[in-house]
Amino acid sequence: MKRLIPVLITSIVGTVLVFSVFFPMAETWGEDFSLFFDIIAVFAFFLGGGNLVRVHLIKVLNKKGDWKFSIVTLIAFAITLTAGLFKFGSVDIAASVTAEGTWMQTIFNNIIAPLSSTMYALLAFFVASASYRAFRAKNREATILLIAAFIILLGRTPLGMFMTGWIPEWFSIAQIPNLAVWIMNGPNLAGQRAILIGVGLGVVAMSLRLILGMDRTYLGSDHD
Amino acid sequence: MTKQAILAGVILVVLLSAGAFGQDRPEAVVDSSNLTGAILPAPVTNIEAKNHKYDDGERIDLFWEKSVDDPDNIFGYKVYRIDKDGASELVRELLPGTTEYFDEEVENDVPYQYIVAVVGEAGEAPSEMTPEVMAAWEFFNFSKLNILILGFIVCGSVLFFISSAKSGKKLFIRKIGGLEALEEAVGRATEMGRPILFIPGILDLDDVQTLAAITILGKVSRVIADYDSKILMPVSRSLVMTSARETIKESYMSAGRPDGYNDNMVQYITDEQFGYVAAVNGIMVREKPATCLYLGAFFAESLILAETGNSIGAIQIAGTARPGQLPFFVAACDYTLIGEELFAASAYLSGDPKQLGSLKGQDIGKIVAMSAIILGTLAMTFASAWELGFMQSLLDILNSIFVTN
Amino acid sequence: MDWQIFGVWLAAFMTLGIISFLYKDNVFYKAAEAIFIGISAGYWFIVFFWDSMVGKFYVQAIESPEPEHHVWVGLILGILMLARLSNKVGWIARWPLAFVVGATAGLYMMMFFVSNAMVQVQSTIMPLWETGDGWFTVFNNIVIIIGVTCGLVYFFFSKKHEGAFGVAAKIGIWFLMVTFGASFGYTVMSRMSLMLGRLDFLFGTWLEMIP
Repeated sequence: MKRLIPVLITSIVGTVLVFSVFFPMAETWGEDFSLFFDIIAVFAFFLGGGNLVRVHLIKVLNKKGDWKFSIVTLIAFAITLTAGLFKFGSVDIAASVTAEGTWMQTIFNNIIAPLSSTMYALLAFFVASASYRAFRAKNREATILLIAAFIILLGRTPLGMFMTGWIPEWFSIAQIPNLAVWIMNGPNLAGQRAILIGVGLGVVAMSLRLILGMDRTYLGSDHD
Repeated sequence: MTKQAILAGVILVVLLSAGAFGQDRPEAVVDSSNLTGAILPAPVTNIEAKNHKYDDGERIDLFWEKSVDDPDNIFGYKVYRIDKDGASELVRELLPGTTEYFDEEVENDVPYQYIVAVVGEAGEAPSEMTPEVMAAWEFFNFSKLNILILGFIVCGSVLFFISSAKSGKKLFIRKIGGLEALEEAVGRATEMGRPILFIPGILDLDDVQTLAAITILGKVSRVIADYDSKILMPVSRSLVMTSARETIKESYMSAGRPDGYNDNMVQYITDEQFGYVAAVNGIMVREKPATCLYLGAFFAESLILAETGNSIGAIQIAGTARPGQLPFFVAACDYTLIGEELFAASAYLSGDPKQLGSLKGQDIGKIVAMSAIILGTLAMTFASAWELGFMQSLLDILNSIFVTN
Repeated sequence: MDWQIFGVWLAAFMTLGIISFLYKDNVFYKAAEAIFIGISAGYWFIVFFWDSMVGKFYVQAIESPEPEHHVWVGLILGILMLARLSNKVGWIARWPLAFVVGATAGLYMMMFFVSNAMVQVQSTIMPLWETGDGWFTVFNNIVIIIGVTCGLVYFFFSKKHEGAFGVAAKIGIWFLMVTFGASFGYTVMSRMSLMLGRLDFLFGTWLEMIP
């Protein structure tokens, strides 16, 4: 019973939404779902945020591992929640919580944005180490990947033209910048399309399995 | 004298425009207060108002051919809607060059007429009034019939092979390297006494890749429960946390080890993409998982995670449907599930003949796609090279089957 | 105290803390990580709260002169989520979960089928004859059609990759590798510029060493 009702909900809601695209009166139901989802997600956050507080609080109380950093997390979390809920710094209560001059905007600009950008920027190093790894791989597939990557990389820099600019016009396809354009518009496009078609079919089959209730471990067990 | 001249000019212009374009036009529909005696722009022609097909009765589409004075001698167009009582309302002012307007502020099954006036220096030159038109409600969108039929073919094949497998027919499914390695990877973690890290991507449960990740988690956590290994699952969405907990708990229950489960296996971190990545990186270097699984929707963080995983010597299995992130997983992980393989993984791992049957059904979809591409290409080639009529017909049929707008 | 200067210093320390991870896990990284988690978790909850609960639910269901009553369904499902807080009635939280899973599966099933499968198949129907774009376009069309069909062969689950089928699958995986290589190469430069952006902040905005 504890599983039957959720399985029925999944099946009915899923089936209705599959067919909703074919009936004009139901075409907007997908948008309604997005709205419901956003509201559900806010309530779910009470569980997620609660978990965050609980985990760090337990660490602090047990003085476990890096418990001092858990204090930092808890304080940072509490300050942001308070500043946002009461719209600190906002001249107009009706204005957006992240409007000009609010604490939330200051927090975003001076903490979240630089931290995010720096995390993102670490990719420069990781891309280099991944390239090195691909370079060391000795199989044919990795070699193909590396050659394609190298051509595209050179093709986007002046070095590509510098290296192959001497190739006569009648064979200009062999010039690296042109070769890079061709790889993007030819073989790359083909691969992308094969992946996309496969994904389209894969989503259909997986959705059917979920709607038919064949795959339902996500609903937990009957025993609790 | 001046007043008389203006009055004469107004009368002349009104008479001229009435004689030239208007018959039964309600008075005071268009604003002619700006008339100065200059020549009115030419009106629009061939105005047509149509019910927008296959909608919920909420829209009327208006088309016209632009004024010959467009764009040099006009300011723009004004669309007037006239209701059944003859009352007119200006519904929109449009820029020169416009030849259509979709009126979405109409009521269902109420008759309306329209006039499009060209606005020039001398005033407004109205078009003929359209015949009455109603926004009609339609039950079924016949323009999507082809999608429904194709959908039935693909879903039908999936269902057919599911029922065929149910009846005991043996189906062959090829080995998928990344999934074959999964049990070995879990075993290795158990032997080393280290945890298994499962990252379900960074999107919420309203993304199909996250759903795929959760269904795979069901199978992976069952193996973990059987091996009595430890799983770490930091997540960036609260809903994913809730569903992951249900999933893992169910696996431990069905493995007969309910005591092995605890809620701390799944931990919410933050919804912020790179905040989550910073935390996962920290967990990786501190907990040193022996196996890292990245399955779901990934963005720029794919390479940060996979390279950090590499630095701690973990076996890494990844899978995503995002073509832009697949290269990084391919370069940095031991195994990668590419696109469709991610969605097939749960069925594959279940070993359940019915679910495996659905994979065979997917293959029928691929055969349909490949046949359409090859047939369509041949038809287009022969039709353009030798202008063969029946090839053009075949091409038209294929286009009508795969048209999506 | 000039808050703007304080903001720049704070951002600089955060930046250095994260970069220090490249050397090894350390106290500065841990501090930046702890602040990042706490602040961002709170930030996004607040944004979602005001946006969804106030901007969407309150405005549409309560404040509007023509309230949309169906929005209450979302609220009820949301409240049911909270049942997870209790061990006794926790199973009720599966209802909103089941709703979300069913809706996602149903909604995206046709969407992906149309936008991924159908659109891509239709785009791949191309002439293998010169129609005014030159013979190189024809060659490119041949490459794309071979690539797409062989790529699809690679994804076949119910047939062994052997014989002619195996050769096609092999060609398919090569095409996929070229695709991955192309994406990889295309991204490398932009990732480098990200790091240059952070260095510009550290040496320009913070240390003012770059004029």
